[in-house]
Amino acid sequence: MKKAIFRRVITAAIIFAFAFSFSSFAYADEGDFRTLDEIKASGVINIGVFSDKSPFGYVDENGDYQGYDVYFANRIGEDLGVEVNFVSTEAASRIEYLQTGKVDIILANFTVTEERAEEVDFALPYMNVALGVVSPEDAVIESLDDIGEDDQVIVISGTTAETYLVENYPDIKLQKYDAYAEAKTALENGNGVAWANDNTEVIAFAIENPGFVVGIPSLGSADTIAPAVTKGNTTLLDWLNDEIGALGEEEFFHADYEATLLDVYGADYEDTLVVEGGVTAAEAPAGE
Amino acid sequence: MDFEAMREYLPLFWDALGLTVRIGWQGVLFAFLLGALGAVILHLRLPVLRQITAAYIELFRNTPLLVQLFFLYFALPKIGIRMRPAVCGVLGLGLLGGAYMAETIRSGLESIAPIQSESAESLGMTRLQAFRYVILPQAVSRSVPGLIANVIFLLKETSVFSTISLMDLMFTAKDLIGMYAKTMECLTMLVVFYLIMLLPVSVLGSFVERRLRHAEFGP
Repeated sequence: MKKAIFRRVITAAIIFAFAFSFSSFAYADEGDFRTLDEIKASGVINIGVFSDKSPFGYVDENGDYQGYDVYFANRIGEDLGVEVNFVSTEAASRIEYLQTGKVDIILANFTVTEERAEEVDFALPYMNVALGVVSPEDAVIESLDDIGEDDQVIVISGTTAETYLVENYPDIKLQKYDAYAEAKTALENGNGVAWANDNTEVIAFAIENPGFVVGIPSLGSADTIAPAVTKGNTTLLDWLNDEIGALGEEEFFHADYEATLLDVYGADYEDTLVVEGGVTAAEAPAGE
Repeated sequence: MDFEAMREYLPLFWDALGLTVRIGWQGVLFAFLLGALGAVILHLRLPVLRQITAAYIELFRNTPLLVQLFFLYFALPKIGIRMRPAVCGVLGLGLLGGAYMAETIRSGLESIAPIQSESAESLGMTRLQAFRYVILPQAVSRSVPGLIANVIFLLKETSVFSTISLMDLMFTAKDLIGMYAKTMECLTMLVVFYLIMLLPVSVLGSFVERRLRHAEFGP
């Protein structure tokens, strides 16, 4: 009997050792990427977008990718002379997709933050964003102080809203979901008192779903959204920056807004949201 | 490997392990009770109930847990049935597991040759006595390996709980990766914590299996 237990302990130890070495193996090639020339030669660029974040990245009723990010992705493919292969991502896996080389570019409404900039390289921004909070109109949350002790706020795992609330309001209870579709259904079902996310997204939700209002239209710092590439992929990064600069001259992102976002937001948000030529309003006049 | 970060995440992983184990075991217990009931109904060939049980087993064995959880958590509220995520988790796991357990226990009961109950009865035992003292012990001992496999299977199925916002081990790891991008650290911890949860089950399982072999009779 003693011998049997001893054998089991040995087996367990081997299993743990195996698990450890396996996990370091699997990530040994972190930072895998394809250079600009390799992408061109292959004839296909892999771009990670959302498939459930209307109107920025979503799949329409014909099964085609649509939205503000997708419109830009298609233009990238056109200008590179390659086909675009859309890869559907979740918020929390965007960095992994780049680090493991599963996509060449992430165009999934990716907010630029310091923590993320340590893991991936951001190109110039193409959109402004802040956080916002949407809630049912019969119990509007107008300030984060309105949130009761037992109330839960819906967030999507891996978003800036989550990080912001975790760091600045650690007492607020969060109800986390993987995907946009699930978070929205949860809000509709009343599983949480409010949903905190990018303000663009919550405004769109309130417009599309009567009975919900954006009680907090702007929260946290004003951020930007930019394409991201694998850390160290300078050839692709430089090309993207040149591209965004050049697109500014033809007011491409205004056209993008009018094609994809106008129906949802109306014209009022156009100049607030769009960043043209990679230059944000905050830094344009001062020239810092 | 950033061991400092791993130490920092440790409490979150312990919490997640606690939740996974709690919901997992409640689900397993529920599944076992449901499975035992189903197996008895099938074994005794009770009319009507037998058809209902068979339909239940086919329905839950042939749909993924993910779909069942979606239904319980996102669809039922639309018709006014609202349950907390943890309740949905236990219920989903229990219903799925019940279907598997019922089949495992039933096949255990069925594997005992009818001649044994006939012999027992001819020796003067009542049907109930024959079932209690002759059939059941052997059937249980034959079902044990299958039941333990089911338990491990069910505990692993908890990894889809993230859909209904339960912070189980899998979701905690994914969430931390999303926030801090320490992929290797989080995934390693994830593997280790699953092993912490499941290795004792399989060790205990093979121990119980050996002990229960006493009840086996004949070839």
